[in-house]
Parts: sequence; structure tokens; C-alpha cells
Amino acid sequence: MFRFSDVLTLTLVRATIRMSTPILLAALGVIVTELAAITNVGIEGIMLVSAFMAVAASYWSGSWIVGILAAVAAGVLIAALMALIHLRFKANVLVAGIAVNMFSLAFTRFLLVNWFGVAGSFYSPRISPIPRINLSILAAHPVLDTLFNNYNLMDYLGIVLVFVFHFLIYKTVWGLRLRFTGVHPLAVETAGVNVTVKKLQALLISGVLGGLAGAHLSLGYTTQFIENMTNGRGFIGVAAMYFGGISPITTWLASLFFGFTEGVGARLQNLGFPSQFMLMLPYVATVVAITFSMIRQQRRETDKQPF
Amino acid sequence: MKLNLLDRLDKLQAPLNVLVAVLIGFIIGTGLMLVEGHNIGEAYTALFNGAFSGRFNFGGTLERFVPLLLSGLAFAISSKASVFNVGVEGQLYFGAMAAAYFGYTIVGLPSFLHITLVLLLAGLAGALWALIPGFLRAAYRVNEVCTTIMLNYVAIYFTSYIVNHLFKNPHIGVPQTPNIQESARLARILMPSRANIGVYIALGIVLFFIWLMDYTTLGYKIKTVGLNPQFATYAGFQARSIMVGAMVLSGFIGGITGAIQVLGIHGYFLDNFSKSLGFDGIMVALLARNNLKVLPFVAFFLAALKSGAVGMERFTGIPRELIGIMEAVIILFAAAEAIIVIRRRLSYQKGGAEVV
Amino acid sequence: MEPIVKMTGIVKQFPNVLALKGVDFSVEKGEVHSLVGENGAGKSTLMNILYGVLQPDLGEIYVRGQKQVIHSVRDAMHLGIGMVHQEFMLAPSMTVVENIILGFEPNRRSVVDYDAAAEKIRALSEEYGLAIRPESRIIDNSVGEAQRVEIIKALYRGAEVLILDEPTAVLTPQETEDLFKVIRSLKEHGKTVIFISHKLQEVLAISDRITVMRDGRVQGTLLASEATKEKIATLMVGREVFLNIKAPEGKRGGVVLDVQGVSARGRRRLSDLKNVSFQVHAGEILGIAGVDGNGQSELVEVLTGLRRVDQGDIFVSGTKITNLPPGEIRERGVSHIPEDRNRSGLCAELTVAENLVATKLKRPPLSKNGVIRGQAVRELASRLVEEYDIRPGDYRIPTRNLSGGNRQKVVVAREVSEDAQLLIAAHPTRGVDIGSIEFIRSILIAQREEGKAILLVSADLEEVLSLSDRIAVMYEGRIVGILPASEANEQVLGLMMAGGEYAKAQGEEEKVVEA
Repeated sequence: MFRFSDVLTLTLVRATIRMSTPILLAALGVIVTELAAITNVGIEGIMLVSAFMAVAASYWSGSWIVGILAAVAAGVLIAALMALIHLRFKANVLVAGIAVNMFSLAFTRFLLVNWFGVAGSFYSPRISPIPRINLSILAAHPVLDTLFNNYNLMDYLGIVLVFVFHFLIYKTVWGLRLRFTGVHPLAVETAGVNVTVKKLQALLISGVLGGLAGAHLSLGYTTQFIENMTNGRGFIGVAAMYFGGISPITTWLASLFFGFTEGVGARLQNLGFPSQFMLMLPYVATVVAITFSMIRQQRRETDKQPF
Repeated sequence: MKLNLLDRLDKLQAPLNVLVAVLIGFIIGTGLMLVEGHNIGEAYTALFNGAFSGRFNFGGTLERFVPLLLSGLAFAISSKASVFNVGVEGQLYFGAMAAAYFGYTIVGLPSFLHITLVLLLAGLAGALWALIPGFLRAAYRVNEVCTTIMLNYVAIYFTSYIVNHLFKNPHIGVPQTPNIQESARLARILMPSRANIGVYIALGIVLFFIWLMDYTTLGYKIKTVGLNPQFATYAGFQARSIMVGAMVLSGFIGGITGAIQVLGIHGYFLDNFSKSLGFDGIMVALLARNNLKVLPFVAFFLAALKSGAVGMERFTGIPRELIGIMEAVIILFAAAEAIIVIRRRLSYQKGGAEVV
Repeated sequence: MEPIVKMTGIVKQFPNVLALKGVDFSVEKGEVHSLVGENGAGKSTLMNILYGVLQPDLGEIYVRGQKQVIHSVRDAMHLGIGMVHQEFMLAPSMTVVENIILGFEPNRRSVVDYDAAAEKIRALSEEYGLAIRPESRIIDNSVGEAQRVEIIKALYRGAEVLILDEPTAVLTPQETEDLFKVIRSLKEHGKTVIFISHKLQEVLAISDRITVMRDGRVQGTLLASEATKEKIATLMVGREVFLNIKAPEGKRGGVVLDVQGVSARGRRRLSDLKNVSFQVHAGEILGIAGVDGNGQSELVEVLTGLRRVDQGDIFVSGTKITNLPPGEIRERGVSHIPEDRNRSGLCAELTVAENLVATKLKRPPLSKNGVIRGQAVRELASRLVEEYDIRPGDYRIPTRNLSGGNRQKVVVAREVSEDAQLLIAAHPTRGVDIGSIEFIRSILIAQREEGKAILLVSADLEEVLSLSDRIAVMYEGRIVGILPASEANEQVLGLMMAGGEYAKAQGEEEKVVEA
């Protein structure tokens, strides 16, 4: 038997926040593209290549900052590749995303062998991880300290970015035009704004965010690169985006939900539950969550009076 | 009406784009070899020999050919109805598990019956698994790419649970199921390779589906729903049910793909055995542009590349991952619809004066 | 005074049609100038050229006396030309303010200054008497409100010349009255309004001058004070060659289609079906006339199972078909030539043969136990290709490669060969060449002679008049009257299409069933 109190501890809150960060960063990226009518399942591949580049750059330079920069650069490049295939060569957006993911998997596999001479995973003490942040104000209070202190820099950054993107999307000229790009491209064109350029911008920004997500996976959450280490987190990010109604703050909550299922899974596993069921929890939750958000969306559509 | 030159070129656009994609793949692959300082001639000779020379190597190619062909067929069939079944991987796991279970538990049947029965049951397992995303797509427009990908993980963990806890070969430390009965085994061809009569089964299945798509009303409906759902509805077809049907058929093939791996190659279900066999099918279908008659050629080409890569690695030290890159580049560009645009369709037709 | 807009010798060729055949058109500053004509006369094409959406093949445009080349909507805006399309360019999920300022956002360092925007919009709204709710989302607005948002959007972008494309087509009479107040107010403020319409009453009420177009040409420009409905109607309809192949009255049989009090939700509020009842007999063509968007499309969809019926019932030869799926309605003897043949009626990628057999495939002799019998398919296809003179005569090519007329023949061939008791033909000759028009019309007549019931929906009055035995006129989702073709003419129908008072005035009450 197990007691709920064993599962629902303060550290579960920590686990939830920590595990939500990569999902959140990916989700923010796909919010931006989804607003421009691009369902970017390629975020998974963007994250994977970025995770690799973060480790490689950090390993060679000894600096996690360089690691992050390399990850972001790689993310943008892969996003640009996606833009080339989808916007220029007119590939179906889902097919383009799948293709980018397959490419990313093969590419990182190749580089792992070619640059580090290993297959499967790469770890070295020379990899400089992204530091944790100790806020001394919180350190004094034990509960606050456990709950909110000593997170990885990226965990904090993720939360800051939620508000940054909320502002960008809802308050700026750029955001207004972006939101119109997805729902009424013709109105945007006739207002003299180039829709393709908006879409390109959106993809490149998702490259930056996917890059941060990847860097966090390999330099923050862990300090190593493992083949296919994203393990569907990009897709879960897409699900979080739908579940959160394509808006940063609610998507943050959705990401926390997925982080929570992952955290609970890990906890239950420690208590002797079959690991497989716990590992599949976030994926099952994702399917359920997307289904609910679609049912909700359809209700809304049948309610409205078209003219 | 005679087809004029532009019409002819228009027809060539798709194959040309694929050709360009393959070309780009080879250029980048060759470039990488050069950068790494390898001898191109040696590399390609080793690649060729690794794929074709001798029973073992050629058998290796055939062994890889089967799952590529079938998972490609699975993806292509759903795509015909404009549904993207990225979940072949998961369906394959369920099919493989079903094959391992019924291959072991059913005793005393003649081989032909046993194999047929196991293949059908495995197909059914895959089909049922595919029914979930198919239904969600048809009923609630839930993006099937997202759900099938998620369900792949669920399938992998679920079968992993079964093989670790419920149905494990107790004599072996590795998580694998007990060996299937001899009557369920697919006979080997080209010993000492692992190629087996699964090759014929796979080709038979492809032929069957070519027939299904071209010569049955179901095939016609699937095609029509994929091309123009509005027309399909107008003509009186149940577009949504047909979408689900295409997904289920696709899952059925996925299940059989897994079963052939178990019955022909391993003889048991091994935890996490597939390593993206189901995903490779997407590549095959994309390159073949969902043309069923082209699938076997594309699958064979990619199987030869994969098999050759192993030989190349052994004899020249070029990592097989380089061929992986080549494949990845090919698929990336094969996804593109319009690398080469032969003409833009401006008008439908030149006809006489028309009034509106 | 120099005209604010002057277009001379405008020619526009579309792939299948010469839409404008050398049009001269000019508008004075500060006037309300109406542009009238039947569907396809070229009004919208001409205005889309002025608004920069389309480029003319020939001809010149002068704005305030200066020759201009208008490459884009943005160019038009810079010249002070704004347009409100029939289909609003508004994103339903966004607010009124957001929709108005898109592309021209007042901002401080790229942050949208919503206060300044709201202020400017409020000023415009008060100045011209355009009541709107700035913070509401477009979905929560009525059609009339959304239209006012579009007008403010144009003014916000600095429009001096405002083109309104059939603005009253989607409005209730009250809303139309409000719109006219706004137009008058615009005029008082020195704005110029180009008003596209084919409702003659309205045109006479609001215009200073009226330009009539027909068949890609301007037929004349009249002062509203000197114009009458009859004068305009004559110019609109002209005295063209009638493709009149009317056969002697057919023998009317029993009731085939019986529609009883059907109501259904439409694409727009005005096209909601409201208690529609009528019957079509065997051996009869019932024509449905009406201005586009008054519920005709919805009626056809309801009859063929493509739209839900909320109230009322539909019977075909006594069998109830209300809300059955399309396939089952077909099986009960209804065939359907759809309005939008390229999207609904055909699958462009499939071959002529595949398109010809689509609805018959699941029955013998074309298939047996789900297996298609190729020989039977080929035989049927080649017979239909020959019988209906579908060119080129090769049934193996994709329909995409056929001309508009031949594509329509494929649809007609398939549907007529269904041999159904009821044939529903929606705009069967729209966008089709003259040869095919004659052919298709003669087929409809022949079907009537064979005792089929035919429901013909057409916006082309001449077609309705020359083919129908009886004519029903739809207006705002209702049937405003049904009259025998012998008692109908274009004037009567035209006036009924705009509201239905005329028929009464002519003393036709006993024959006209008011809805």
C-alpha cells in the first residue's frame, strides 16, 4: 500500500516545475508558430539538435553560456530548414515537421559518432552545466526555500519568458499582426503586411525557444547528451499549446500539468509501481488533453453565429 | 486531346522532385565522405558489396526490405485518405506482441494455418490500436500526428510492461518472451542471413493492396475521400467512417509488419526491439509519393542503403550514421512538393468564348 | 469639375472569360454613384481593379486627374480608395479595434497604443454616425455591426472614395435604413461612395447617378432623378439572343418532391430557411429564382442531405428523406447537379471515367461484392462520353484537363444517367460556354419530357424563364411566391426578388402564395 502523503510532498512541487520547463519552452515556441497557422511538430527535432550542440559547445568552450548560444543558433538553423521545406518548397507542414525530426535524429547520431566517437550517449566532466540560482531572500524560510529556491537558471527563464511572450503577443504591433496571420491571412495581406515573412519570423522564434529547451535538457536538467533524449517532449509541448488554448499563461499551466504527471510517475515508480505505467503517464495525459481541448474548441465553433 | 509538352512535364514534376532529393542526399553524403578524407570509390564499392554481394549480404538487404516495405505501405494507405498515421511504430509493437503470444500459445496447428492465423491476429491488434487515433480524428478532429506519436510511446511502454512482468521467458535475463512454436516460424531463405519467406508475404500484401486501391469500391472511396472529401460526401460516401477505415487498415498492416519481425527474424518479442522500423516507413512512402506500385522499389533502394552501410562501416571505417544522414537529407527534400516547379497552373483550360 | 476617379478602356481577361470588354467609368467627388447589373456583368471585377486586387489587361485609371497604376490594395489606400467586400475581411475571434487598426497601428515603440486607437475610432464613429462596440469581438457582432466596422476600417485608413460591394445583400430592411443614413452622412462630409447593387429600389433611393453594366460593358449612366426601375431593368437585361428552347408544356404527373414547412440554419442569417413549402410534380420543371444568398444554396443542401433540417419535413415520392445522409437520399431517387462543381461535383484529380461512375459504383453492374468491374465501368464511361459529347472523348484523362463546359457535362451526364425521379440542378449553366449551355438546357427539357421532376435553381432569370413550368422566387430564406411561367416576366420576377410586392400590385394574388 502507499499513502498519498508519500507522493504529494513539497519536493513534488519542485519536480513538477523542473520537469515542466522543457515542455514549457517548446510550447512557447509552438504557440508563436501556431498563431501563424504553422503546427510545428518539428520542434522535437529543433530541441534534439540544440541539445546536442549545447553539450558540444559547452564541452569545448567550458562555458555554459557558449553552450546556450550554440543551442539557440542550432535551433534557428533547423527552424530555417523547416521554413525552407514548408514555406519555400511547399511541403505539407506536418510532413515537413516529421521530416525535420527524422533528419535531426540522424544528424545528431552522426555527429555523436563523428565528433565524440561514441554511440548512444555522451558525457564528460568537462561539460559545463547551466548553474542553479540561489536566491538568498528565500533561503531563510525553509518551505519557500524548498519550493522556490535553487532552481536551474532555465527554470526561472522559462517563467520569465511566459510573461515576455504574453506581452509580445498581446501588446505589441508585432503580436497583433502575428495573431491575424493565423486567423485571417488575407486581411493581413491587404493591410500591406507580408504573410510569408510573418510565418518565417514565427518559425525562427520557435527555433530560438526550441534551442533554449534543448539546451536545458542537456545542460540543465541533465548534463549529458543521449540519443533521442527529447523523447517526445517537443510533441508534448505541442499538446500543451493546444491544451493551453494557444496562449502563454494558460499554456504554462498546461506544461505544469504535464510536468506534474511526469513527477508523480517518477514518485510512484520509487514506491514500487511498474515503471512502464508511470513512464507512459505523460503521453496518455497528452492524448486525453488534446482530445478535450478539441472537443471544447468545437463546442465554441458551433455556438458562434456565422454571417 | 493530345497531351502537350507542358502536360507531360507536369506529370514528371513529382518524380523529378524525388530524383532531385535523392541527388541532394548523395551529394551531401559524398561531400561528407570527402571532408572526412575517405576514398569515394572504395566507399561506394563497399556500400554496393555490403548490399548485394553474397547470400549473407543480399539476405541482409531483403531482411531490411520487408519492414520498410510494409510500414511504408501502412503509411501510404492512410495517407491516401489524407490521414497521417505516424503511429505505425506503435501498431507494429502491438502486432509483434500478439504474434509472440499466439505464436507461443497456439499449439498443434499445421504451419500454414498457424502462420496465417497469427498474422491475422497481429494485424487485428495493430488495427485496434490504430482505431483510437482514427476515431479521435474523425469524431473530434484531434490531430492524428500528435496522437499517434504519443500512442507510440504508450505502446512501447505497454508492451515493455507485458514482456517484463506478464509474459517473460523465465530462463533468460533479457526481457523477451518465450520462443514461438516451430509451426509459427517463417522459413528462412538465403541462409546464413535472416531473410525469410516474409519477403513473399510482404510482396503479396502489397499486391493485394494495389488491387484493393485500384479495383474495389473501398479503394475508390479511400482515394476520393483523400483527394476531395467534399466531393466524397456529395457523392454519398461516409467520409468520416472511411477515414477511420483507412487508419484501421493502416494499423492492420502495421501489426503484420511487427508479426513478420517476430515470426521470421527473432522468434520472440524482445523489449524495445523495433528502433524506428515504423518510422522508416514514412520515408519510404514519402519517396514513393504514396504510389503503391513504386513502394517496393523505394523500399529495396533504402534497404540496400542500410544494409550496404553496415558493410561500408566494416570495410572502410565510414560510420553507418553517415548513410543515416544521407537518408535524412533525402527524406527532408522528398517532403518538398515544389523544389522544381515546371509550370504554374494559371488556367484550367483554353476553351471557346464562355459566358458567366 | 474633374472626376475623382476615372477609368477608361478597362479590359480584363480571366482564364475562361473576357470579364471586362473596354469599360469607361467615372465618379465625381462627393456623389453616391451606383453600379448595377446582373451577376457576372463585371461590377465586382471593375471595382477590384480600382481597389488594386486585380490588375487590368488594358486601360487607364485616373485618380484626381493623375494617371495611376494601382498595383496593390496598399496603393489604393494611399490614393484614398477603400472597399468593403461582400465577404468581410474581419477576423471573427479578434476585437473590433484590433480588426480596424491592423497594419496601421498607432504605437509607442512598437507597443500598440490602444487608447489612441480607441480615441481615433470613437471620433470616426461619432462623426459619421457609425455605432460600434470597439471592445467586442467580431463574432459577437451582428452582420450590420460588422459592416459598420468595415466602413470605419476603410475610413481609418484614410478612404475618400468608398466602394461598397452589395452592402445590402446581407442586411435586414432596418439595417439597410441605417446604412443609408451612414451613406448620406459620408456624402455630407464630402466622401465619395460607389454603391454596387442589383436591388433597383435601393439604388434609386440612395444614388446621385447610376451606371448600368451588362456582359462586361457599360450600358449607360443615368441621373437618379431621371431614372426609373423600368429604364434600369431594360438596360440591365438588354435584348440579347434568348437561348429559348422552350418545349410545349409537359404533362404534369403526381407529386415527386414535397417540401413541408422546412426551416434550417443558413450560412448567413438572411439565408436561414424559414418555413419553406412547395411541391414539384413529375414532368415539371420548377425554377427557383432569387438573388444569390437568399437561401437557395441552403435549400439545395437541405434537400440533398448536406445540411440539417431543424423543422419541417421533406418527402420524395411519398418517402420521408428529412435529414437522411446524402448517400441514402440518392438511393431514394434524388440526383443533384451541385452549385460548385469544381469542389463538390467533381474530383479534379480523378479521371473522367472515375468521376462519371462515382455515384453508381457500389451497385451492379459496375461492381460486385465490392469489386469494381472494369469492363462495365469502361463501357458506361465511353457511352456517357459519347452521349453527352464530352470532349476530349478520352475518359482516361483527369477531369482537371477539361474545359469548364465539359466538366459540367461530366457532372450532368453522371447525375442525369442516375435516372432518378427528382433531379436538382443548381446553376447548371453558370460559367459554361454557349454551346454547352444549349446542350445542358436541352437535356433538362428532355428529362422533363421523360416525366422526371426537376428543381432548377438559377440566378439567371432568362434561364429560369425559358426552362421552367412554374417559378418560385426566394427572398431572405422564404419563398415569396410561386407563379406559372406563362404569367412571369423579368420585371415581375425582378421585383419579387427584391421583396415581392410587385406581384400583388399586378393583381396576381390568387396565383401568388405569400410565404
